[in-house]
Amino acid sequence: MTLPEFFGCTLIAFGTPFSLFVFTIANDSMRIIILIAAAFFWLLSLLLSSLLWFAIVPLRDVLAFGVVFSVLFQECFRYIIYRILRSTEHALHAVAEDTRITENKHILAYVSGLGFGIISGLFALVNVLADMTGPGTMGLRGGSEMFFVTSAVQVLSIILLHTFWSVIFFNAFDTNNYLHIFYVVGTHLFVSLLTLLNADELYWASLLPNYIVTILTAVLAFKVAGGTSKSFKRFVMCR
Amino acid sequence: MAQQIKAAAIWLLLMFQSTASVIGERTRDKMYEPILGASCFRRLNGTHQTGCSSTFSGSVGVLHLINIDADLEFLLTSPPSPPYAPMIPPHLFTRANLLRLKEAGPKIISVVLLINRSKIEQFSHELNCPNQYSGLKLNNSTETATCDAKKVTNTWNRWGTGLLHEDFPFPIYYIADPEEIDKLEKCFIKFNDFDYESHALRSLCAVEIKSFMSAAVNSEVCMRRTNFINNLGGSKYCDPLEGRNVYATLYPRSPTENVDINTDEKFIIVSCRLDTTSMFDGLGLGAMDSLQSLAILTQVAHMLHILLPSQNTLTDPKRNVLFVAFNGESYDYIGSQRFVYDMENLAFPTRSTRTTPISFDNIEFMLDIGTLDDIGNIKLHTLTSTLLAKQLLQQLNRYAKSSRYGFNVNFESNVGYHIPPTSAQSFLRRDEKFPALILNALPNNRFYHSIYDDVDNVAFIYANTSQDYTKLADVNDMKNISVNSLQMKVRNVSSIVAMALYETLTGKQYQGNQVANPLLADEFFYCFLLSSDCPLFKASSYLNSPPGVPLPPMRYISVLGGSQESSGWTYRLFGYLLSHQEPSVPKENCTQLPLYYFAGLNDTGECRRTTQNYTHALSPAFLIEDYDWRSGQYSTWTESTWSQFSARIFLRPSNVHEITILSIGIVVFIISFCLIYIISSRWEVLFEDLPASNAALPMPTAC
Repeated sequence: MTLPEFFGCTLIAFGTPFSLFVFTIANDSMRIIILIAAAFFWLLSLLLSSLLWFAIVPLRDVLAFGVVFSVLFQECFRYIIYRILRSTEHALHAVAEDTRITENKHILAYVSGLGFGIISGLFALVNVLADMTGPGTMGLRGGSEMFFVTSAVQVLSIILLHTFWSVIFFNAFDTNNYLHIFYVVGTHLFVSLLTLLNADELYWASLLPNYIVTILTAVLAFKVAGGTSKSFKRFVMCR
Repeated sequence: MAQQIKAAAIWLLLMFQSTASVIGERTRDKMYEPILGASCFRRLNGTHQTGCSSTFSGSVGVLHLINIDADLEFLLTSPPSPPYAPMIPPHLFTRANLLRLKEAGPKIISVVLLINRSKIEQFSHELNCPNQYSGLKLNNSTETATCDAKKVTNTWNRWGTGLLHEDFPFPIYYIADPEEIDKLEKCFIKFNDFDYESHALRSLCAVEIKSFMSAAVNSEVCMRRTNFINNLGGSKYCDPLEGRNVYATLYPRSPTENVDINTDEKFIIVSCRLDTTSMFDGLGLGAMDSLQSLAILTQVAHMLHILLPSQNTLTDPKRNVLFVAFNGESYDYIGSQRFVYDMENLAFPTRSTRTTPISFDNIEFMLDIGTLDDIGNIKLHTLTSTLLAKQLLQQLNRYAKSSRYGFNVNFESNVGYHIPPTSAQSFLRRDEKFPALILNALPNNRFYHSIYDDVDNVAFIYANTSQDYTKLADVNDMKNISVNSLQMKVRNVSSIVAMALYETLTGKQYQGNQVANPLLADEFFYCFLLSSDCPLFKASSYLNSPPGVPLPPMRYISVLGGSQESSGWTYRLFGYLLSHQEPSVPKENCTQLPLYYFAGLNDTGECRRTTQNYTHALSPAFLIEDYDWRSGQYSTWTESTWSQFSARIFLRPSNVHEITILSIGIVVFIISFCLIYIISSRWEVLFEDLPASNAALPMPTAC
């Protein structure tokens, strides 16, 4: 019955990451490996946060607590993967067919960030998507029928944000730019805590700031990766 | 607010993956609400399929509460967002309405819910002529000669709607629990019951029923498919209706290895029907339509058992009485047809009982107890006027009208083909000269074969006296049970029949003051109508056996491996009430039938010599090779198999909503696909400065 809803939400959430994967990752085996490795590290962070959530029984119902520590764990693992990638760079350079991967340091950051984002998005949405295939929609016992679309849109922003964050984050450590590191952790915390508003069905209140942050982060990542307004203009004008 | 916090919990757990499985709540739990009820299911006979089935994946319909006919009219003429699931109260669950819904088809009406709300006058889903296409027939006619369906007022069930024999393209679900009905109604009022023009544009409260039936067309097709040699999966599509008849003899028969018929032996058969049926799975007590006659049969047997002296002091010491409760009689006389078939083939009783077979030559006459809706006015039906019938009627009336007993029952004779649909028809069909006498009252049961033929329909009130019900009562002893109660009526009829049979067997008039015990009827009805966990069932079970479930036993014949509760309890009851105590046999030696160790009245345990047994109630149609399914000779009823019955309510999104989301998804996907293609093909333009990561070395400081 609501198979249309299912496909609609899947395309909203994973259409963009899929396109990114097809055009920028799929043609290089090394990038796929790094993507998977990044996803693996994100899963490790999930494991740690769930262990912490499970261990501290009295705070299980206090979601903000779990959220904060989950974010911190994710950022720690982002740092770990950064260190690993940087330390294996020489070896990578030796085995890579396409040497661009090491020539442009942002590619590694981008690939691992996308890996982070995709796995996080999958975990966020798959359970919801699985329940969407039945004949019904949300709303019988509270909840709004916009729940599914909101989830999908939110997941899309999280995936994109992770990608941008990684680019900024990697570069920040390369250049010792602590402001950028602080920005990444700060916005990650901000966006995550913002989703707490969804409990009261304040979907716009969470989605709108969320996307503003996404755009700001995108601009920052663009700049960090070497883009300027001039190059952007050139790109748009098709020169 | 608590709900919203929960919603927050789920949402965030999903967002941040903090092991949602530990809490075990899913989005689905917030979307669906299960509904408890009983489903209608599919039965098939040689030519048709009847009942209902959902679609394979479940039928979904938008809830709509029907209060008056106009509501139904609205759904059928201008449904704003079909398919719908009308919730129909019993008084609108009529043949005319149901046929209109059927005609509208599953595109408009996909589910029908019967909600138990209003008080009703009549509700019978059986045909006007029960077992219309079997029983006694004339000149190769397909319909029985004993009932004329065209003259409805003169039929055996004139309130019958025949819905039990209709095939519906949608599932029908019966919801009895007021809480469940409340859930449905609230959902309907909250989401559906306003602004009908915009139904197509918004989410509506809908119900999904899963009751897919695997059998189709008719018994012939589905039995062929089930037995098909290539059916490697071994899946069954349908099972024949199958159960057990219960019988018991008044006097024990002597065990012998002899397989020849002993023509000296004479039997009087006293019989009734054991089963009932209804449209919905697991419901239907058949209180008036068949349980009363079973109660009377039990009481007659019990009274004769106590009154009669030993067999060799009778006028004819070779005489015996055979009490039989036939199973599956609601479905073209399955039990009695098989009984007759077995008798013809000298297969009754079975070899394992080590007794000589009984043939038709051994039968002196048959007294069949039909439905006794009006217990005060009973007719003695016979096909032709016989001396036997006159004699019996005279005897019955003598006791019925005797001032000594004050039974106040009237017996009349009725000769001719207008015979009630009872087991005797199977015997008469084989041979019209068969001496069958049928006791039957004028049909007065407005709930024949329906879910409402229950305690209230027979106005039964449990007296719960905890007194000895195994002895006969004095005729003037009325202190426990009121005179007009069901128990008393059953006592009266049972006593009269037992006295008449007593006179037939002994040749002497009954002079005693002892009559059937109304307390036995009291306990009997309590067990069969209210709870199997009851004193009578407990007494007739093995000592210290676990108590029955606190629900009345299912009395539908069912299939092989189905619940055979009612035949099992009747078997033990006959065993207990028709047996002689053997005080000299210790418990250790009381293990082999006919000896059986009963719990007894006070749970003390007693060894008794029993006479009861089962015979198989499976239609001969399933035994005869290459049986012609359309011949109408034997019952061909089968029941479809199914995997589950379930119902749940939820919000069904509107088409507009679905299409919008799908379009947004597609648009987002296409735009991002193109955009990213352009960016990736010209990314050098975008990022002019290409710093090699090598340049960034040496290592940064720790975080």
